[in-house]
Amino acid sequence: MMNRIIRRIQRFKGWFGAAAAFCIFYGLYLGLFDSPPDYYQGEVVRIMYVHVPLAHTSLMAYASLFLGSLWYLWKRDPLVDNMCQAAAGLTVIFTALSLITGAIWAKPTWNTWWTWDPKLISFAILLLIASGYLMLRTFVEDPDKEGRYAAVLAIVGGIDLPIIYFSAEWWRSLHQPLSISMRGVSMTGDILLPLSIMSLGLNLLFLYMLMVRTQMLYLTNLLQAKKGRLLSQVHLTQTSS
Amino acid sequence: MTFLRVIQWVVWKDLISEMRSRETLSSMLFFALIVILVFSFSFAMDQDAAQQLIAGIIWVSFAFTGIIGLGKSFSAELQNDALEYLQMSPTPKGAIYLGKMLGNLLFMLVVEVMLFPLFVLFFNLNIVEEIGLLLLIFLLATLGLSAVGTLFSALTVQIRAREVMLPVLLLPLAIPVMIAAVESTRGALNAQPLTLYFHWIELLTIFDVIFTVVSFWLFELILDS
Amino acid sequence: MTGFYLRWAGVIVMAITMAVLANKNYQEHLASISPEAVLAGEHSHATLRVQGMVGSGSLTGSPEEGHAEFELLGETKHLKVQYQGPPPENLRELKTLILIGRWDSGSQVFQAQDTALVTNYGFVASAYLIAFLVLVASVFSMSRKVTCLFQEIKESKLYEPELETHVEHR
Repeated sequence: MMNRIIRRIQRFKGWFGAAAAFCIFYGLYLGLFDSPPDYYQGEVVRIMYVHVPLAHTSLMAYASLFLGSLWYLWKRDPLVDNMCQAAAGLTVIFTALSLITGAIWAKPTWNTWWTWDPKLISFAILLLIASGYLMLRTFVEDPDKEGRYAAVLAIVGGIDLPIIYFSAEWWRSLHQPLSISMRGVSMTGDILLPLSIMSLGLNLLFLYMLMVRTQMLYLTNLLQAKKGRLLSQVHLTQTSS
Repeated sequence: MTFLRVIQWVVWKDLISEMRSRETLSSMLFFALIVILVFSFSFAMDQDAAQQLIAGIIWVSFAFTGIIGLGKSFSAELQNDALEYLQMSPTPKGAIYLGKMLGNLLFMLVVEVMLFPLFVLFFNLNIVEEIGLLLLIFLLATLGLSAVGTLFSALTVQIRAREVMLPVLLLPLAIPVMIAAVESTRGALNAQPLTLYFHWIELLTIFDVIFTVVSFWLFELILDS
Repeated sequence: MTGFYLRWAGVIVMAITMAVLANKNYQEHLASISPEAVLAGEHSHATLRVQGMVGSGSLTGSPEEGHAEFELLGETKHLKVQYQGPPPENLRELKTLILIGRWDSGSQVFQAQDTALVTNYGFVASAYLIAFLVLVASVFSMSRKVTCLFQEIKESKLYEPELETHVEHR
């Protein structure tokens, strides 16, 4: 009675988890021990190897939420809806983490926890949109409506995000003439390799988490549905006897 | 031409019910007046500070008033199950969206036009030369707000906690409109040359076009019973 | 359920190994000591990292060409330093920095070969710890929930697809 895809996920998700763990541990080794300290920032630059991949992954999470929402509106498959809900939760986790690590990186390099940089503004709004998405889902009773409304919000948000980024960039160029930049961090091989390994690892971890979370939501719904049916059966046997 | 007729009837219906009850307009107006008062007390501005801050204050009060109007737009339909008739009616849903959006735009613009002289009066603004441009900015920004806002008003009216969810969902998405409206209004009020803030007006136009089209297509999913 | 916890025990062991290795690496290569500790001989490595402030008026030689002599101030005592290495960017008077080099206990002079920026490693450590603790905790709770749900579905016999036809039969 269980969905075929869910069974397949149960069988194969372990590989994603293992690959993610391998890439992350290798990336941690490269980022923490193997790569040289930066000329200007010193050892603090190592925060980049966790912050930038986290930011990439949160964009990836929102992208999968956006595409999943389009797919859901097209096919109306409840499993896809579970996938979207899972992706939204993960977007919140990854965006919050990239904002926090970004603040920790900004303090020693820019001497402030927060600045109104277009990327920061866009990520903060991304966090707001994704949490609004999760809030919206808790306030709708009908599961079909829940999926549709949430998908509409995700699509509007996805179209809005690039516009938010560009308007924030114009706005900043008006109010904060280029005082802050990534000075001194040149993208050479020493930096690029740990960055891309870590990015790959976190993206794989995201896929793994997406599978697990989709499974979790699907099974919760399944259990609820089955319990409801069991109750109605009790009702049936009682009325028939 | 049923499409245009539906738009026309939806707008007409909203106008008539508003003319009879005057609920939406009066609540928006009073709310906006209170916002203006609170702002002027909390900032205690001199002339220079007013020049810098006034555009932001204008748009914050317009946006909050707009949210009141947008929230009322569909919750009024809940009475006598009017919403279900809208859902069941065999008319194209996009037409209902456009009608509702135009109605909201009209209400918000009326309130803005009534409030703006008060701002001019209270904060000693000099607007004589730029009045046409300011009205264009108001029109474009309000269109953007009502394009997204009508969609989310129809969405939140069918869920629990609708008064909370409308601003929570709408305001983050309306950030580009707010930034562009504030920057271009400030430019116009400070009599800067048009080239300095013309790109904000372009941004507003692009936002309006994109979100009117997107909401037009997505509205069918919201009003589907 | 046992298999699930065993797998997570493996992950935790790996993480602890990683943390121990990182700490060891930090102690060996990155932790810096004060000039007082150098003078008192409280060190074990051949290459030392000493953090202190360049004493005012003590800098002689030419740092641009890569050799200089100066005094490194600690809290109470100061250290004679002879610098010989790549031209340092941040060697100025009254500047706090880290010197990398060897302690010559015979002549009581610190032979520095390189400089490094003073770093607050708390930032790096907290960024990594927060990110990975949150991620691991959320993965753990999600996987545990999934395992529990599978268990529950199996145990409550909600599994059989025959249930519906069964009812119709009666």
